[in-house]
Amino acid sequence: MKLFRVLLITCFICLTSFFIAAKAWAFCGFYVAKADTKLYNQASQVAIARNGNRTVLTMANDYQGDVKDFAIVIPVPVVLEENQVQISDPKIVERLDAFSAPRLVEYFDPDPCAPIWRTEDRLMAPQAASAERAASRQSNGALGVTVESQFTVGEYDIVILSARESGGLETWLTQNGYRIPQGARQLLQPYIRQRLKFFVAKVNLEVYETSGYQSLRPIQIIYESPRFMLPIRLGMVNAQTAQDLIVYILSPQGQAEVTNYRTVKVPSDAEVPLYVKEEFSDFYKSMFATAYNREGKNVAFVEYAWDMAGCDPCSAEPLTPDELRQAGAFWVTPETPQNVFLTRMHVRYTRDRFPEDLIFQQTNNRESFQGRYILRHPFTGEPTCSAGQDYQRSLPRVFERQAQTLARLTGWEIQEIRERLPQVQSRFIPWWQHFFQAFLGHG
Amino acid sequence: MLFSDARLYQILFLSLFLGVGIVARDWSLHPLMIGALIATCCCVQWIAAIQVSAPFIKSLPSALVTSLGLSLLLRADHVGTLMLAGTLAILSKFCLRVQDKHIFNPGNFGIVAVLTLTQDAWVSPGQWGEEGWYVLLFLSAGGLVLGRIGRWDTSVAFLASYAGLEAVRNLWLGWTWDVWAHRMMSGSLLVFALFMITDPRTVPNARIARIIWAGAIALLTFYLRNFWFISTAPFWALFSLAPLTILLDRMFSGDRFIWHQDALELSEVDMTDELLPVP
Repeated sequence: MKLFRVLLITCFICLTSFFIAAKAWAFCGFYVAKADTKLYNQASQVAIARNGNRTVLTMANDYQGDVKDFAIVIPVPVVLEENQVQISDPKIVERLDAFSAPRLVEYFDPDPCAPIWRTEDRLMAPQAASAERAASRQSNGALGVTVESQFTVGEYDIVILSARESGGLETWLTQNGYRIPQGARQLLQPYIRQRLKFFVAKVNLEVYETSGYQSLRPIQIIYESPRFMLPIRLGMVNAQTAQDLIVYILSPQGQAEVTNYRTVKVPSDAEVPLYVKEEFSDFYKSMFATAYNREGKNVAFVEYAWDMAGCDPCSAEPLTPDELRQAGAFWVTPETPQNVFLTRMHVRYTRDRFPEDLIFQQTNNRESFQGRYILRHPFTGEPTCSAGQDYQRSLPRVFERQAQTLARLTGWEIQEIRERLPQVQSRFIPWWQHFFQAFLGHG
Repeated sequence: MLFSDARLYQILFLSLFLGVGIVARDWSLHPLMIGALIATCCCVQWIAAIQVSAPFIKSLPSALVTSLGLSLLLRADHVGTLMLAGTLAILSKFCLRVQDKHIFNPGNFGIVAVLTLTQDAWVSPGQWGEEGWYVLLFLSAGGLVLGRIGRWDTSVAFLASYAGLEAVRNLWLGWTWDVWAHRMMSGSLLVFALFMITDPRTVPNARIARIIWAGAIALLTFYLRNFWFISTAPFWALFSLAPLTILLDRMFSGDRFIWHQDALELSEVDMTDELLPVP
């Protein structure tokens, strides 16, 4: 049997399943519901593909409310024309998610008494599978609001606005049937003064009903701007609690990072007790919350950073060149299909800890990283040599170490963890028993 | 004071920051890379000192300050890139100089050179975060060193100008003041203001000239950051405006500086050292 041979592929995950369960969607915009429905922003996923100043931004939609109430306002750096906005296949964001999700891997300890195999055989990579995862210009002089362009794309009616002052913009939105959350007016002004435009979208019910789609599809916008940021402040207007944002950054260079907050790797490569397999989602949530608190609640966590050309272990098949292009990586050609470095960042933000919008940069850092948690099944066969007996004696220490790692990562009670550890029956036979067995015929 | 040479304090504090960074800030720093960078800077300093017949030991602290500063600020995938930055930084002190002044800040020159010339280097402005504990650490350590050097006015002028410009912008945009505070609490900005732009061999001699110079760097930093959206704006601003020192020194007369009083007679032959005020 090979040392470190991998026998099983684990597939679950999804920590992100708890994001899906969130009530509503939005990241950098706020809801301007047309009805009185209370909507809260809680989680979202954004994919940003960027090469130079050219950017393709895909906003995945896990909106759970009534589609007729769906309407968002998002600041964007430039005026977008109809051909700069398109609808993306929801599967692309799911694929990015599945490919980059933190993963659980399993190893099986070999028989310590078996012959030792060559190193290259032992290096066979473990495999893991992730779980589910995955223009016409109209001006309103009195209000100072200009409709820069207006069009319908897929199931969305989209208006691009520029404004001179926040009061006018608020009035325009209200007059056109959008409900502005309280406190949004003050937040609109800084964006207006930075000369950002406003991307306003609502669902065209006729198109939506005839399309047969069960949920709203992601909106993808394409623009060229030196600004590499996500305006999260607006999204906090109607947020009641901390919001989770998963950002996938696709770059031809290397890792992306946040420049105005710390970027920290999520704890990884930790060996945890076997029972975590049954509750990986709880484990990851607790571990993330513990790391989030420990780091002061104001950092961006890297959960994955890897060249798309490979993965080890792969939680899902790497995206094909066609899928990468759909995800926005416009520089990918059949000749250079793998020239994409994917960074997955997880930001949990609140108003008090994240006063500024997120600003990103691409770096030349091509170091690979993944959130990976290891299960190690002990060898359970009969020890037939002294190395086997030593191995068995070492198991309680191994389990204890795993328990302490789990307690440290998650903040769970160490005693409760210990109660769930496997019990090891020591099969150690003292030398005199061998003597009796061999010479006296009883043991 | 324990040390007569303020550079020894600088070395002590920069090493402390580096240690804190590695232990507590989750940096992708490899001890091997830091070691290679320090060794490169010292070797290049030694070779260059021999070439110009300058005493190597007296200028060793200068090479250490440069290498530690680079280790704190610069990141690269390959150790060769860091070694190139160190080499260019030290060589700039010998090759790019007017009389006893460096045209460029050595560490800053090394950073800008590899950012421009290679596809491998980067700077992480967010690496220190914005915690009050670090702000206090930087301010107290920086204050101690600058008090010894007598160049605290440069840092104060830079920080005050930059804070003022950001405050005006904040007021105009209508952001809440925590946005401004968040920008000003950036650990990287403070390390830059307290440990990079204060190199006495790069700053102008006269106080008024230093204040003008630091104010100009703050203005350019503000402009590059908010209008060109360059996250590494302070490095480019310092690089662009460092040569102004030559001009300002001609316009305003001020004291020359040596690092230690007993080295006054050596300052004519010590071609590499930074200088302190002559009392």
